[in-house]
Amino acid sequence: MALFASGLVLLCLLLASPGWLQLAGMSPAWAVLWLLPWSVVEGPLAGALAGIAVGLLFDALQGSNLTSVPMLALLGFWWGQFLAARRPLERSTTLGLLALIGTLMLNGSYALQLHLRGEVNAAAWHITFAQTLLTALVAPLFCSLQVLFWRRISSRYER
Amino acid sequence: MARGNNLKRLLNLRLLLASWPWLLVITAFALLRLSKGALLLDLYAQVSRPFWPGSAQREWLQKAQRLEDQQRLALLEAQLSNQQLDLSLRQQQGPWVTAAVISRNMQGWWQDLLLGAGALQGIRPGAAVTAPGGLLGRISSVTPSTARVLLLTDPSSRVAVELQGNRGKGLLVGDGTSRPRLEFLEKDVEVLPGDVVITSAASTVVPANLIVGVVQQVNLDALPAPEALLQLTAPAGAVDWVRVR
Repeated sequence: MALFASGLVLLCLLLASPGWLQLAGMSPAWAVLWLLPWSVVEGPLAGALAGIAVGLLFDALQGSNLTSVPMLALLGFWWGQFLAARRPLERSTTLGLLALIGTLMLNGSYALQLHLRGEVNAAAWHITFAQTLLTALVAPLFCSLQVLFWRRISSRYER
Repeated sequence: MARGNNLKRLLNLRLLLASWPWLLVITAFALLRLSKGALLLDLYAQVSRPFWPGSAQREWLQKAQRLEDQQRLALLEAQLSNQQLDLSLRQQQGPWVTAAVISRNMQGWWQDLLLGAGALQGIRPGAAVTAPGGLLGRISSVTPSTARVLLLTDPSSRVAVELQGNRGKGLLVGDGTSRPRLEFLEKDVEVLPGDVVITSAASTVVPANLIVGVVQQVNLDALPAPEALLQLTAPAGAVDWVRVR
């Protein structure tokens, strides 16, 4: 139920991103902001599968044929490894750093696909930096709250 | 040996069957992806209907349309002497559909608009989308009640255009910025900043003689042929109602 509700919120954010939360016209990478806390709490396999699901959703909602599925699955798998980390992730800047690297890699995968298709986006660096900075800036806030939320629900953390 | 065990554990049928909720979820999302989110977009169109732009701009749009028609008529009369048989314009018949813009994606890796009218209103993929001022882009996909517009500025957009007065033909290539690049086909082109660019009469994908933009900067040294940067005349970032045919 909670998963459904948060998925619905993600859907709304993808379709109608708020205008006040933008840097140089770019919104934060909502897919990254949703996937990061989920995979940190649920582990690599669930992270990768959720990455595929979110990637498919993201691809379905945009008109171009660029895909984000492989990179999001990879990121979900990677972030799932932090399940074993015995550090209080939600308190540190680690989440911001993970979101920063993740957004950078996601944008890099778009750039690679455009390059392979022989198309040019002259604003590529502009887009990448704006989105990466903004995502890393809001990630500690959004992601730590979601990490605490998922942990409260997850059976793994019951005691 | 250990690798073999790992493989066996990964491909364990029981484990695979035990993860059926995940398989179900992935299948559902794959179907969603194949339909390009048709169900979700229709749902979004219905839910966001109270927030659609008001009708003031729609009337303004219709008024601007009459003005543009008059200008086009004057243009055509001036060109009547070398007017060629324009098949594409004759084939493009049927009424213009007026549609509201309900989602806008102007910056980023792709540039598109989502319109609140779709196949039920008679919009087909490939149709030209115009706003007051000129061409905005083409319809890339439709669902029953929404349609997606690939803007001229999108990196995958390619439209055949020519300078007004049949002086030089070229290809308008989007590159992600607000000023798409016009690549001319011939080496000898007399082009100056300020020249008006219209859709080509040779194009089979868009109606001919729609105003696209104004040449802003010319690079005559580009190889293999001159290039120009275009300032589009239709304000894709500000328009709330567009017309589709």
